[in-house]
Amino acid sequence: MSDNQEVEILDVRGEICPYPMIRTNKELDERDPAPLTLAVLTDHPPALSTIPPEAMKRGYGCEIEEIASGEWRIQLFKA
Amino acid sequence: MAFNSNNLTISRPNYQFWTIVVVLGIASLCALLSFFAEASVAVFWLIGLAFGVTVQRSRFCFTSAFRDFFLLGQVRVLKGILAGLAVSTIGFAVIMSMSSPNPAFGSPPSDANILPVGLSTLIAGTLFGIGMVLAGGCVSGSLYRMGEGYIASWVAILGVITGLFFLNQTWNWWWDNLISRETPVWLPAEFTYTGALIITTIGLLSILYVSVWKERKVSAGFTMPQIKKLTTDTQPTNSISEIFSYLKKAFSKEWNPITGGIILGLLNIILFIRFRPLGVVGEISRWSTSLSNSLGIPTPYLDGMDLLGACAPILTEGASWFTEGFFLNTGIVAGAFCSAVFAREFKLRIPKSPIRYVQSMVGGIVMGYGAGLGLGCTLGAFFSAIPSLALNGWVYAVGLTIGAYISVQWVKKFS
Repeated sequence: MSDNQEVEILDVRGEICPYPMIRTNKELDERDPAPLTLAVLTDHPPALSTIPPEAMKRGYGCEIEEIASGEWRIQLFKA
Repeated sequence: MAFNSNNLTISRPNYQFWTIVVVLGIASLCALLSFFAEASVAVFWLIGLAFGVTVQRSRFCFTSAFRDFFLLGQVRVLKGILAGLAVSTIGFAVIMSMSSPNPAFGSPPSDANILPVGLSTLIAGTLFGIGMVLAGGCVSGSLYRMGEGYIASWVAILGVITGLFFLNQTWNWWWDNLISRETPVWLPAEFTYTGALIITTIGLLSILYVSVWKERKVSAGFTMPQIKKLTTDTQPTNSISEIFSYLKKAFSKEWNPITGGIILGLLNIILFIRFRPLGVVGEISRWSTSLSNSLGIPTPYLDGMDLLGACAPILTEGASWFTEGFFLNTGIVAGAFCSAVFAREFKLRIPKSPIRYVQSMVGGIVMGYGAGLGLGCTLGAFFSAIPSLALNGWVYAVGLTIGAYISVQWVKKFS
Protein backbone atom coordinates (compact mmCIF):
# COMPACT_ATOMS: atom_id res chain seq x y z
CA MET A 1 0.00 0.00 0.00
CA SER A 2 1.36 3.37 -1.00
CA ASP A 3 1.88 5.92 1.71
CA ASN A 4 0.36 8.67 -0.38
CA GLN A 5 -2.92 6.88 -1.00
CA GLU A 6 -6.01 8.45 0.53
CA VAL A 7 -6.98 6.30 3.49
CA GLU A 8 -9.60 6.63 6.14
CA ILE A 9 -8.25 7.43 9.57
CA LEU A 10 -9.59 6.66 13.01
CA ASP A 11 -7.69 8.78 15.49
CA VAL A 12 -7.85 7.27 18.99
CA ARG A 13 -4.74 9.01 20.29
CA GLY A 14 -5.00 10.03 23.93
CA GLU A 15 -7.27 7.11 24.80
CA ILE A 16 -6.61 4.26 27.22
CA CYS A 17 -7.64 0.59 26.96
CA PRO A 18 -10.21 -0.70 26.29
CA TYR A 19 -11.50 2.34 24.41
CA PRO A 20 -9.14 2.34 21.36
CA MET A 21 -10.07 -1.28 20.61
CA ILE A 22 -13.79 -0.80 21.25
CA ARG A 23 -13.94 2.24 18.98
CA THR A 24 -12.08 0.37 16.22
CA ASN A 25 -14.46 -2.59 16.51
CA LYS A 26 -17.47 -0.26 16.32
CA GLU A 27 -16.05 1.34 13.20
CA LEU A 28 -15.59 -2.07 11.57
CA ASP A 29 -18.90 -3.53 12.77
CA GLU A 30 -21.40 -0.74 12.50
CA ARG A 31 -20.50 1.07 9.30
CA ASP A 32 -22.44 0.08 6.24
CA PRO A 33 -20.71 -0.87 4.03
CA ALA A 34 -17.82 -1.96 6.23
CA PRO A 35 -14.64 0.03 5.44
CA LEU A 36 -12.19 -1.62 3.03
CA THR A 37 -9.24 0.02 4.73
CA LEU A 38 -8.86 1.83 8.00
CA ALA A 39 -5.80 3.43 9.54
CA VAL A 40 -6.01 3.54 13.35
CA LEU A 41 -3.72 6.06 15.00
CA THR A 42 -2.87 5.26 18.61
CA ASP A 43 -0.35 6.29 21.24
CA HIS A 44 -1.38 3.52 23.66
CA PRO A 45 1.09 0.61 23.30
CA PRO A 46 -1.26 -2.06 24.75
CA ALA A 47 -3.69 -1.30 21.90
CA LEU A 48 -1.09 -2.80 19.54
CA SER A 49 -1.84 -6.22 20.97
CA THR A 50 -5.63 -5.80 21.36
CA ILE A 51 -6.71 -4.21 18.05
CA PRO A 52 -4.99 -6.62 15.58
CA PRO A 53 -6.55 -9.88 16.87
CA GLU A 54 -10.00 -8.29 16.98
CA ALA A 55 -9.62 -6.97 13.41
CA MET A 56 -8.32 -10.32 12.19
CA LYS A 57 -11.40 -12.01 13.67
CA ARG A 58 -13.42 -9.69 11.42
CA GLY A 59 -11.47 -10.70 8.33
CA TYR A 60 -9.00 -7.83 8.15
CA GLY A 61 -5.30 -7.98 7.53
CA CYS A 62 -3.09 -5.79 9.63
CA GLU A 63 0.21 -3.89 9.55
CA ILE A 64 1.69 -1.87 12.38
CA GLU A 65 4.06 1.01 11.81
CA GLU A 66 5.69 3.39 14.27
CA ILE A 67 4.97 6.91 13.01
CA ALA A 68 6.51 9.01 15.77
CA SER A 69 7.94 8.64 19.23
CA GLY A 70 5.19 6.80 21.15
CA GLU A 71 2.74 6.78 18.23
CA TRP A 72 1.75 3.99 15.89
CA ARG A 73 -0.43 3.50 12.85
CA ILE A 74 -2.33 0.24 12.64
CA GLN A 75 -3.26 -0.24 8.99
CA LEU A 76 -6.26 -2.53 8.56
CA PHE A 77 -7.36 -3.81 5.16
CA LYS A 78 -9.98 -6.26 3.98
CA ALA A 79 -7.97 -9.39 3.28
CA MET B 1 -7.84 12.81 4.86
CA ALA B 2 -4.46 12.06 3.39
CA PHE B 3 -1.84 10.55 5.54
CA ASN B 4 1.82 10.48 4.74
CA SER B 5 4.17 8.96 7.24
CA ASN B 6 7.24 10.04 5.27
CA ASN B 7 6.75 13.61 6.39
CA LEU B 8 7.13 12.74 10.03
CA THR B 9 10.60 13.00 11.41
CA ILE B 10 11.64 12.25 14.94
CA SER B 11 14.72 13.14 16.84
CA ARG B 12 16.59 10.28 18.42
CA PRO B 13 17.27 10.81 22.10
CA ASN B 14 20.85 10.46 23.22
CA TYR B 15 20.61 7.30 25.35
CA GLN B 16 24.03 7.62 26.88
CA PHE B 17 23.42 11.14 28.09
CA TRP B 18 20.02 10.34 29.58
CA THR B 19 21.25 7.13 31.21
CA ILE B 20 23.94 9.08 33.03
CA VAL B 21 21.51 11.85 34.06
CA VAL B 22 18.94 9.38 35.38
CA VAL B 23 21.43 7.18 37.25
CA LEU B 24 23.16 10.19 38.84
CA GLY B 25 19.80 11.77 39.73
CA ILE B 26 18.50 8.62 41.42
CA ALA B 27 21.77 8.01 43.25
CA SER B 28 22.05 11.55 44.58
CA LEU B 29 18.42 11.61 45.73
CA CYS B 30 18.97 8.30 47.56
CA ALA B 31 22.06 9.71 49.23
CA LEU B 32 20.14 12.85 50.25
CA LEU B 33 17.23 10.80 51.60
CA SER B 34 19.47 8.55 53.67
CA PHE B 35 21.32 11.57 54.98
CA PHE B 36 18.38 13.80 55.91
CA ALA B 37 15.60 11.27 56.52
CA GLU B 38 15.55 7.61 57.45
CA ALA B 39 17.43 5.13 55.31
CA SER B 40 14.22 3.12 54.88
CA VAL B 41 12.83 5.94 52.74
CA ALA B 42 15.58 5.36 50.17
CA VAL B 43 14.67 1.65 50.03
CA PHE B 44 11.03 2.47 49.29
CA TRP B 45 12.12 4.98 46.64
CA LEU B 46 14.33 2.38 44.91
CA ILE B 47 11.64 -0.32 45.07
CA GLY B 48 9.12 2.20 43.65
CA LEU B 49 11.49 3.06 40.78
CA ALA B 50 12.13 -0.61 40.01
CA PHE B 51 8.39 -1.27 40.13
CA GLY B 52 7.71 1.64 37.76
CA VAL B 53 10.33 0.51 35.25
CA THR B 54 9.13 -3.11 35.37
CA VAL B 55 5.42 -2.40 34.86
CA GLN B 56 6.20 0.15 32.12
CA ARG B 57 8.44 -2.24 30.16
CA SER B 58 6.21 -5.29 30.54
CA ARG B 59 2.98 -3.27 30.09
CA PHE B 60 1.86 -4.96 33.28
CA CYS B 61 -1.75 -4.00 33.81
CA PHE B 62 -3.81 -5.74 36.48
CA THR B 63 -6.96 -4.29 34.92
CA SER B 64 -6.26 -5.83 31.54
CA ALA B 65 -5.70 -9.22 33.17
CA PHE B 66 -9.24 -9.25 34.58
CA ARG B 67 -10.89 -7.32 31.74
CA ASP B 68 -9.37 -8.98 28.68
CA PHE B 69 -10.26 -12.44 29.89
CA PHE B 70 -13.91 -11.45 29.34
CA LEU B 71 -13.46 -8.89 26.59
CA LEU B 72 -10.96 -10.63 24.31
CA GLY B 73 -10.03 -13.97 25.79
CA GLN B 74 -6.46 -12.66 26.13
CA VAL B 75 -4.54 -13.94 29.14
CA ARG B 76 -0.97 -12.68 28.59
CA VAL B 77 -0.90 -10.46 31.67
CA LEU B 78 -2.96 -12.90 33.74
CA LYS B 79 -0.17 -15.47 33.25
CA GLY B 80 2.33 -12.83 34.43
CA ILE B 81 0.28 -12.20 37.57
CA LEU B 82 0.13 -15.95 38.27
CA ALA B 83 3.92 -16.19 37.88
CA GLY B 84 4.39 -13.26 40.26
CA LEU B 85 1.99 -14.77 42.81
CA ALA B 86 3.76 -18.14 42.64
CA VAL B 87 7.17 -16.55 43.25
CA SER B 88 6.04 -14.28 46.06
CA THR B 89 3.99 -17.03 47.75
CA ILE B 90 7.15 -19.09 48.22
CA GLY B 91 9.11 -16.08 49.50
CA PHE B 92 6.33 -14.89 51.81
CA ALA B 93 5.89 -18.39 53.26
CA VAL B 94 9.59 -18.53 54.12
CA ILE B 95 9.52 -15.06 55.70
CA MET B 96 6.34 -15.73 57.70
CA SER B 97 7.50 -19.16 58.87
CA MET B 98 10.50 -17.48 60.48
CA SER B 99 8.43 -14.93 62.42
CA SER B 100 5.52 -17.32 63.14
CA PRO B 101 6.94 -20.85 63.24
CA ASN B 102 3.83 -22.23 64.98
CA PRO B 103 0.95 -20.80 62.94
CA ALA B 104 -1.76 -22.56 64.94
CA PHE B 105 -0.77 -20.66 68.10
CA GLY B 106 -0.49 -16.95 68.70
CA SER B 107 -1.37 -14.20 66.27
CA PRO B 108 -0.55 -14.26 62.55
CA PRO B 109 2.36 -12.12 61.29
CA SER B 110 1.27 -8.52 61.85
CA ASP B 111 2.99 -7.13 58.75
CA ALA B 112 1.42 -9.54 56.27
CA ASN B 113 -1.75 -8.48 54.46
CA ILE B 114 -4.18 -10.59 56.48
CA LEU B 115 -7.55 -8.86 56.83
CA PRO B 116 -11.06 -9.55 58.11
CA VAL B 117 -12.80 -11.49 55.39
CA GLY B 118 -16.47 -11.52 54.51
CA LEU B 119 -19.13 -9.65 52.58
CA SER B 120 -17.21 -6.37 52.92
CA THR B 121 -14.23 -7.94 51.09
CA LEU B 122 -16.47 -9.08 48.24
CA ILE B 123 -18.23 -5.70 47.95
CA ALA B 124 -14.88 -3.88 48.01
CA GLY B 125 -13.40 -6.11 45.30
CA THR B 126 -16.50 -5.76 43.11
CA LEU B 127 -16.50 -1.95 43.37
CA PHE B 128 -12.79 -1.89 42.63
CA GLY B 129 -13.28 -4.16 39.60
CA ILE B 130 -16.06 -1.96 38.20
CA GLY B 131 -14.04 1.20 38.72
CA MET B 132 -10.74 -0.02 37.28
CA VAL B 133 -12.28 -1.18 33.98
CA LEU B 134 -14.17 2.10 33.61
CA ALA B 135 -11.09 4.21 34.42
CA GLY B 136 -8.82 2.13 32.18
CA GLY B 137 -6.39 1.19 34.96
CA CYS B 138 -6.19 0.18 38.61
CA VAL B 139 -4.55 2.39 41.24
CA SER B 140 -0.95 1.25 40.68
CA GLY B 141 -1.65 1.09 36.93
CA SER B 142 -2.88 4.68 36.90
CA LEU B 143 0.16 5.75 38.95
CA TYR B 144 2.60 4.37 36.40
CA ARG B 145 0.58 5.71 33.48
CA MET B 146 0.78 9.15 35.11
CA GLY B 147 4.52 8.80 34.54
CA GLU B 148 3.98 7.78 30.92
CA GLY B 149 2.05 11.00 30.28
CA TYR B 150 -1.59 9.84 30.30
CA ILE B 151 -3.76 12.77 31.36
CA ALA B 152 -6.71 10.37 31.83
CA SER B 153 -4.71 8.57 34.52
CA TRP B 154 -4.07 11.83 36.39
CA VAL B 155 -7.84 12.30 36.40
CA ALA B 156 -8.32 8.70 37.59
CA ILE B 157 -5.95 9.22 40.56
CA LEU B 158 -7.82 12.42 41.41
CA GLY B 159 -10.97 10.25 41.36
CA VAL B 160 -9.30 7.71 43.68
CA ILE B 161 -8.46 10.50 46.15
CA THR B 162 -12.10 11.63 46.00
CA GLY B 163 -13.38 8.06 46.40
CA LEU B 164 -11.19 7.56 49.46
CA PHE B 165 -12.62 10.79 50.89
CA PHE B 166 -16.17 9.40 50.55
CA LEU B 167 -15.06 6.09 52.07
CA ASN B 168 -13.41 7.75 55.07
CA GLN B 169 -16.59 9.75 55.71
CA THR B 170 -18.70 6.55 55.69
CA TRP B 171 -16.14 4.07 57.07
CA ASN B 172 -17.68 3.86 60.55
CA TRP B 173 -20.96 2.59 59.09
CA TRP B 174 -19.14 -0.25 57.34
CA TRP B 175 -17.13 -0.96 60.48
CA ASP B 176 -20.21 -1.09 62.75
CA ASN B 177 -22.36 -3.11 60.39
CA LEU B 178 -19.93 -5.44 58.67
CA ILE B 179 -16.19 -5.33 59.20
CA SER B 180 -16.14 -5.45 63.03
CA ARG B 181 -18.04 -8.77 62.85
CA GLU B 182 -15.71 -10.31 60.30
CA THR B 183 -12.55 -12.13 61.32
CA PRO B 184 -9.35 -12.71 59.38
CA VAL B 185 -8.75 -16.21 58.06
CA TRP B 186 -5.09 -17.06 57.80
CA LEU B 187 -4.69 -20.36 55.99
CA PRO B 188 -1.56 -21.59 57.86
CA ALA B 189 -3.42 -21.24 61.20
CA GLU B 190 -6.10 -23.63 59.93
CA PHE B 191 -4.13 -25.99 57.70
CA THR B 192 -0.41 -25.47 58.61
CA TYR B 193 2.04 -23.94 56.12
CA THR B 194 2.13 -27.09 54.01
CA GLY B 195 -1.65 -27.16 53.73
CA ALA B 196 -1.83 -23.45 52.95
CA LEU B 197 0.81 -23.80 50.21
CA ILE B 198 -1.03 -26.78 48.70
CA ILE B 199 -4.32 -24.82 48.68
CA THR B 200 -2.65 -21.77 47.09
CA THR B 201 -0.91 -23.92 44.47
CA ILE B 202 -4.18 -25.65 43.55
CA GLY B 203 -5.86 -22.23 43.30
CA LEU B 204 -3.18 -20.75 41.04
CA LEU B 205 -3.00 -23.86 38.84
CA SER B 206 -6.81 -23.87 38.40
CA ILE B 207 -6.73 -20.26 37.18
CA LEU B 208 -3.82 -21.12 34.86
CA TYR B 209 -5.81 -24.04 33.46
CA VAL B 210 -8.92 -21.95 32.83
CA SER B 211 -6.91 -19.15 31.20
CA VAL B 212 -4.95 -21.44 28.89
CA TRP B 213 -8.18 -23.19 27.95
CA LYS B 214 -9.78 -19.84 27.16
CA GLU B 215 -6.76 -18.69 25.16
CA ARG B 216 -6.72 -21.84 23.05
CA LYS B 217 -10.44 -21.51 22.39
CA VAL B 218 -10.45 -17.83 21.46
CA SER B 219 -7.19 -16.93 19.80
CA ALA B 220 -6.03 -20.06 18.02
CA GLY B 221 -4.33 -19.47 14.67
CA PHE B 222 -3.51 -15.75 14.98
CA THR B 223 -0.04 -14.44 14.41
CA MET B 224 0.65 -10.94 15.58
CA PRO B 225 2.00 -8.55 12.93
CA GLN B 226 5.57 -7.30 13.33
CA ILE B 227 5.88 -3.63 14.27
CA LYS B 228 7.81 -1.61 11.69
CA LYS B 229 10.12 0.71 13.61
CA LEU B 230 11.19 4.15 12.53
CA THR B 231 14.81 3.75 13.50
CA THR B 232 17.21 0.91 12.90
CA ASP B 233 19.83 -0.15 15.39
CA THR B 234 23.27 1.16 14.61
CA GLN B 235 26.44 -0.80 15.28
CA PRO B 236 28.32 0.43 18.36
CA THR B 237 31.55 2.20 17.39
CA ASN B 238 33.60 1.68 20.57
CA SER B 239 33.57 -0.33 23.81
CA ILE B 240 31.70 2.30 25.84
CA SER B 241 28.93 2.63 23.28
CA GLU B 242 28.75 -1.17 23.09
CA ILE B 243 28.09 -1.32 26.85
CA PHE B 244 25.40 1.31 26.50
CA SER B 245 23.89 -0.65 23.65
CA TYR B 246 23.26 -3.56 26.09
CA LEU B 247 21.32 -1.16 28.32
CA LYS B 248 19.46 0.20 25.34
CA LYS B 249 18.51 -3.31 24.25
CA ALA B 250 17.31 -4.28 27.73
CA PHE B 251 15.31 -1.13 28.43
CA SER B 252 13.87 -0.23 25.06
CA LYS B 253 12.47 -3.66 24.24
CA GLU B 254 9.08 -4.81 25.48
CA TRP B 255 9.39 -7.35 28.31
CA ASN B 256 7.31 -10.48 28.50
CA PRO B 257 4.60 -10.07 31.20
CA ILE B 258 5.79 -13.30 32.84
CA THR B 259 9.25 -11.76 33.30
CA GLY B 260 7.50 -8.65 34.63
CA GLY B 261 5.38 -10.67 37.07
CA ILE B 262 8.39 -12.58 38.40
CA ILE B 263 10.32 -9.31 38.98
CA LEU B 264 7.31 -7.79 40.79
CA GLY B 265 7.06 -10.92 42.94
CA LEU B 266 10.75 -10.60 43.84
CA LEU B 267 10.38 -6.87 44.65
CA ASN B 268 7.46 -7.76 46.91
CA ILE B 269 9.59 -10.34 48.74
CA ILE B 270 12.50 -7.87 49.14
CA LEU B 271 10.18 -5.26 50.63
CA PHE B 272 8.48 -7.77 52.95
CA ILE B 273 11.77 -9.18 54.31
CA ARG B 274 12.48 -5.93 56.11
CA PHE B 275 9.24 -3.92 55.98
CA ARG B 276 5.83 -4.89 54.62
CA PRO B 277 4.35 -6.12 51.32
CA LEU B 278 3.70 -3.80 48.37
CA GLY B 279 0.69 -1.53 48.62
CA VAL B 280 -0.08 2.02 47.47
CA VAL B 281 -3.56 2.84 48.79
CA GLY B 282 -2.79 3.64 52.45
CA GLU B 283 -0.60 6.51 51.31
CA ILE B 284 -3.17 7.87 48.85
CA SER B 285 -5.75 7.70 51.66
CA ARG B 286 -3.39 9.86 53.71
CA TRP B 287 -3.24 12.37 50.83
CA SER B 288 -7.03 12.33 50.72
CA THR B 289 -7.43 13.06 54.44
CA SER B 290 -4.75 15.78 54.39
CA LEU B 291 -6.50 17.41 51.45
CA SER B 292 -9.98 17.25 52.99
CA ASN B 293 -8.67 18.49 56.36
CA SER B 294 -7.02 21.47 54.70
CA LEU B 295 -10.29 22.17 52.86
CA GLY B 296 -12.02 22.31 56.25
CA ILE B 297 -13.74 18.90 56.10
CA PRO B 298 -12.29 16.89 58.98
CA THR B 299 -11.95 13.12 58.75
CA PRO B 300 -13.95 11.39 61.49
CA TYR B 301 -12.14 9.04 63.87
CA LEU B 302 -11.92 5.80 61.88
CA ASP B 303 -13.13 3.04 64.22
CA GLY B 304 -11.03 -0.08 64.27
CA MET B 305 -8.60 1.18 61.64
CA ASP B 306 -5.62 0.88 64.00
CA LEU B 307 -6.42 -2.84 64.44
CA LEU B 308 -6.17 -3.48 60.71
CA GLY B 309 -3.10 -4.03 58.58
CA ALA B 310 -2.44 -3.97 54.83
CA CYS B 311 -3.27 -0.56 53.37
CA ALA B 312 -5.01 0.95 56.39
CA PRO B 313 -3.95 4.61 56.37
CA ILE B 314 -1.54 5.67 59.08
CA LEU B 315 -2.79 9.09 60.18
CA THR B 316 -0.36 10.62 62.62
CA GLU B 317 -0.80 14.26 63.54
CA GLY B 318 2.14 16.41 62.56
CA ALA B 319 4.06 13.59 60.90
CA SER B 320 6.34 14.33 57.96
CA TRP B 321 4.72 14.46 54.54
CA PHE B 322 7.60 12.50 53.11
CA THR B 323 6.78 9.02 54.36
CA GLU B 324 7.92 5.65 53.07
CA GLY B 325 4.65 5.33 51.16
CA PHE B 326 5.13 8.74 49.58
CA PHE B 327 8.45 7.64 48.11
CA LEU B 328 7.07 4.27 46.98
CA ASN B 329 4.21 5.95 45.09
CA THR B 330 6.24 8.78 43.58
CA GLY B 331 8.99 6.26 42.77
CA ILE B 332 6.49 4.31 40.66
CA VAL B 333 5.57 7.47 38.73
CA ALA B 334 9.24 8.49 38.33
CA GLY B 335 10.38 4.98 37.33
CA ALA B 336 7.70 4.70 34.66
CA PHE B 337 8.57 8.20 33.43
CA CYS B 338 12.30 7.41 33.06
CA SER B 339 11.54 4.07 31.44
CA ALA B 340 9.07 5.60 28.97
CA VAL B 341 11.48 8.41 28.02
CA PHE B 342 14.32 5.93 27.57
CA ALA B 343 12.22 3.68 25.33
CA ARG B 344 10.99 6.72 23.34
CA GLU B 345 7.42 6.09 24.48
CA PHE B 346 6.79 9.11 26.66
CA LYS B 347 4.15 11.45 25.32
CA LEU B 348 1.45 13.66 26.78
CA ARG B 349 -1.70 11.75 25.91
CA ILE B 350 -4.71 13.99 26.03
CA PRO B 351 -8.11 12.38 25.38
CA LYS B 352 -10.13 14.40 22.88
CA SER B 353 -13.63 13.33 23.84
CA PRO B 354 -14.96 14.82 27.11
CA ILE B 355 -16.69 11.55 28.06
CA ARG B 356 -13.26 9.96 28.74
CA TYR B 357 -12.59 12.43 31.55
CA VAL B 358 -15.95 11.56 33.09
CA GLN B 359 -15.20 7.84 32.77
CA SER B 360 -11.77 8.27 34.38
CA MET B 361 -13.14 10.39 37.22
CA VAL B 362 -16.17 8.19 37.99
CA GLY B 363 -14.09 5.01 37.58
CA GLY B 364 -11.48 6.49 39.92
CA ILE B 365 -14.08 7.39 42.56
CA VAL B 366 -15.70 3.92 42.53
CA MET B 367 -12.28 2.25 42.57
CA GLY B 368 -11.04 4.53 45.37
CA TYR B 369 -14.09 3.74 47.49
CA GLY B 370 -13.55 0.00 46.93
CA ALA B 371 -9.84 0.28 47.71
CA GLY B 372 -10.59 2.08 50.98
CA LEU B 373 -13.22 -0.45 51.99
CA GLY B 374 -11.04 -3.43 51.06
CA LEU B 375 -7.92 -1.84 52.63
CA GLY B 376 -5.97 -2.22 49.43
CA CYS B 377 -5.95 -2.22 45.66
CA THR B 378 -4.93 -4.92 43.20
CA LEU B 379 -1.55 -4.76 44.96
CA GLY B 380 -2.28 -4.59 48.70
CA ALA B 381 -5.53 -6.58 48.83
CA PHE B 382 -4.71 -9.08 46.08
CA PHE B 383 -1.10 -9.32 44.84
CA SER B 384 0.25 -9.07 48.41
CA ALA B 385 -2.66 -10.82 50.17
CA ILE B 386 -2.65 -14.16 48.32
CA PRO B 387 1.09 -14.68 49.06
CA SER B 388 0.29 -13.74 52.70
CA LEU B 389 -1.72 -16.99 52.60
CA ALA B 390 -4.78 -15.00 53.64
CA LEU B 391 -8.30 -15.91 52.53
CA ASN B 392 -9.19 -12.23 51.98
CA GLY B 393 -6.89 -12.13 48.91
CA TRP B 394 -8.94 -14.83 47.17
CA VAL B 395 -12.31 -13.30 48.08
CA TYR B 396 -11.11 -9.90 46.85
CA ALA B 397 -10.03 -11.57 43.57
CA VAL B 398 -13.52 -13.04 43.16
CA GLY B 399 -14.92 -9.53 43.69
CA LEU B 400 -12.49 -8.07 41.11
CA THR B 401 -13.62 -10.70 38.61
CA ILE B 402 -17.33 -10.00 39.19
CA GLY B 403 -16.75 -6.23 38.99
CA ALA B 404 -14.64 -6.48 35.82
CA TYR B 405 -17.32 -8.67 34.20
CA ILE B 406 -20.11 -6.18 35.02
CA SER B 407 -18.05 -3.20 33.87
CA VAL B 408 -17.05 -4.88 30.59
CA GLN B 409 -20.74 -5.28 29.71
CA TRP B 410 -21.36 -1.57 30.37
CA VAL B 411 -18.28 -0.40 28.53
CA LYS B 412 -19.17 -2.53 25.49
CA LYS B 413 -22.66 -1.07 25.42
CA PHE B 414 -22.00 2.60 26.13
CA SER B 415 -18.88 3.67 24.31
